[in-house]
Amino acid sequence: MKRMLILAFVAVSFLPSTISAHHSFTATYNTDKTVTIEGKVTQFLLRNPHSFLHVTATDKDGKEQNWNIEWAAAGQLGGAGVTRDSLKVGDPVVITGNPARDSADQRLRMVTVKRTSDGFNWGFRQGQTVD
Amino acid sequence: MRTITFGIAFFALFVSSAIFLGQAPAPSLGIGTPLGPMVNGTDFSGSWRWVNHQDAPLFTASGDIADWGGIPLNDAARVYALSWSASRQTVKQQQCMGYVPPYSWMAPGNYRIWEERDPITQRLVAIRFWGQIAQVDRTVYMDGRPHPPAYAPHTFSGFSTGKYEGNILTVSTTHIKRGWIRANGVPQSDAATVTEHYIRHGDATTILAVVNDPVYLSEPMSKTSLLFRQPADPDAWLYACDDSEQILGRKNDYVASHLFGQNPYVREYADKNKVPLLGAMGGAETMYPEFLTKVRDAAASETAAKAKMLPAGPAQASRAPDPTPNDGNIHVFHVAGSVYMLTGDGANIAVQVGPQGAFVVDTGAGKLSDKVVAEIGKLSSKPIQFIVNTSFHPEHTGGNAKLQAAGADPSLTGSFFSNQFADAGQGATIIGHQNVQTRMQELKPPAPAPPSDTYFEDRRRKYHNEEAVEMFPLPNAITDGDSVVHFRRSDVIVTGDVFTTTQYPFIDVKNGGSLQGEIRALNFILDRTVYQHDEDGGTLIIPGHGRVTNEWEVAEYRDMLVIIRDRVQAMIKSGATLDQIKSARLTADYDVRFGATTGMWTTDTFVEAVYTSLKNPPESASTK
Repeated sequence: MKRMLILAFVAVSFLPSTISAHHSFTATYNTDKTVTIEGKVTQFLLRNPHSFLHVTATDKDGKEQNWNIEWAAAGQLGGAGVTRDSLKVGDPVVITGNPARDSADQRLRMVTVKRTSDGFNWGFRQGQTVD
Repeated sequence: MRTITFGIAFFALFVSSAIFLGQAPAPSLGIGTPLGPMVNGTDFSGSWRWVNHQDAPLFTASGDIADWGGIPLNDAARVYALSWSASRQTVKQQQCMGYVPPYSWMAPGNYRIWEERDPITQRLVAIRFWGQIAQVDRTVYMDGRPHPPAYAPHTFSGFSTGKYEGNILTVSTTHIKRGWIRANGVPQSDAATVTEHYIRHGDATTILAVVNDPVYLSEPMSKTSLLFRQPADPDAWLYACDDSEQILGRKNDYVASHLFGQNPYVREYADKNKVPLLGAMGGAETMYPEFLTKVRDAAASETAAKAKMLPAGPAQASRAPDPTPNDGNIHVFHVAGSVYMLTGDGANIAVQVGPQGAFVVDTGAGKLSDKVVAEIGKLSSKPIQFIVNTSFHPEHTGGNAKLQAAGADPSLTGSFFSNQFADAGQGATIIGHQNVQTRMQELKPPAPAPPSDTYFEDRRRKYHNEEAVEMFPLPNAITDGDSVVHFRRSDVIVTGDVFTTTQYPFIDVKNGGSLQGEIRALNFILDRTVYQHDEDGGTLIIPGHGRVTNEWEVAEYRDMLVIIRDRVQAMIKSGATLDQIKSARLTADYDVRFGATTGMWTTDTFVEAVYTSLKNPPESASTK
């Protein structure tokens, strides 16, 4: 019985165990798709359960659009070296992200961000994912 | 189906292992209530981590849209889930929603469990749980205390009591807020109760939870979770949630949802995983092996699945118990600071006490006024000085005459002008919107003791009993004379019938009420509330009817009304008549919680008020 129990514990320990979100990403975003936007930072909210980056970008018709990008938790970003001072209003950034299922949200789940002025980036190294 | 089988197998394994390795002695008998019972049982203290098992693909809040197989959800829960859009999480009050049991055991991160013991007797008072993610904070009382009354507030963790049954700790939880069965849209209602059995076997603990939800489940739902004891405490236990401006520029009466039958993602999970849509739609039948025979005929199965996407069957009434004690007595509940709620005589009554006379909001139906006066007398050594009416409706003003007569307003007696009034200071001063006075006087016969101190707009304010008290008129909500009262130091808002926990809002269109004004009034309240932690605590709310709440329930109520508004509006735009709108059962997901099929305020009369408001919006809908 004890041996069986140990085997069972080993089995459950190797089941998929990705630390997951405060809410359902699969329900919120089209996680199979990515879009890229280029724009300027208007606000950076470093907080739990998820940080948010607000960016203004020009669409194909030349109209300015606000984008709301959901980023990782404050602690997770801190572990990757992102601090409250890492991004400032007006910083030029290129962002790729999973688009929200509800297009009215103008919302992305951050996949990568790169500041074009100096190369600061996040999302290109292992473990840098929003979860 | 696969996850259920997996879960049953693991549960059976762990239960049997618990018995095999069971180390906890049997509980001994208590020796008297003053000291609390002596409790002997398994010690669960330590740092624990949740382990994936039967719901591995559904860890925390994951879960595909329309993946509900194995959940005994009823028809109302299904259409609720089909209408739910994840975009609703961008609504401010939804961002920091707490975790309810047993869903809370699916949060990632660690849990800390410890015992609270009486410092003198060392008897076990409570077992405490702390979840790292979302700072889930639970107390399981082991000292034999009763659960609070039904009109007490709910929290996301609920109120738990525990007892040892052999080597099993059994925990019963009530007073839980509306949360998730699964965070892809399947609700657990605030009428749900949860029984959990904790079984420790060495460094593992199995939790078998059974959810009974009369509102959204057709059968009890069982769920197991597994914790592993961690050798080291991570010493990082904070993860408070702050809401934020996720979508800039969004209006506060926007709540995303899918109209019935128009969820574009309903087939996504079933198609991707090649499972019959009927199975993915969930329901009690999907818990049992016999269900497989129903999906053998693919065409019939598909037809049956489609039929489940729209409300069907007769109108449903609320299945949630009424928290109001209708036992002929007045029940007193301390809400916060110097504010109390008295319940049992029609609408709720709020009483603020202090060195000055009592400040009362609403006077009930007037059937038990002598008892109301007696209870206020126990709370305050001074007479009632002020009464505010939030509405002219008799359930709020029926006790005006008796409560006024039992009071006195020394601020009038002692004033320079008191000689001008023959009755100055005799009785309490009644305050209210001018339309409350007008409508009470217009009744045939006129209602006794209408407000004499009235206002039209902005706010009426007083500094009384050492706190600021504000009275805000809310145009065209339930009537054209509603007000809410905010006791600022105690941080309690008395809403009148603008908000109740027991029924759809009684929008009195004939007397100036409107859906638009009602939604605006709820948002007005939400602009003044602050939660303490993850939508629990903070500013407390005394509703017109029902239990004490905080902003969470107000926001849920607002969200519901916005969603219903959008559904009715869409049908009006398509040219539907009132009868067609009623037949479409556009409130089907909420009827089991707030609906009525009999009485003076049925679901049909509510839908009619919504329809009338939208067809003929009040002037204030566009001007404010």
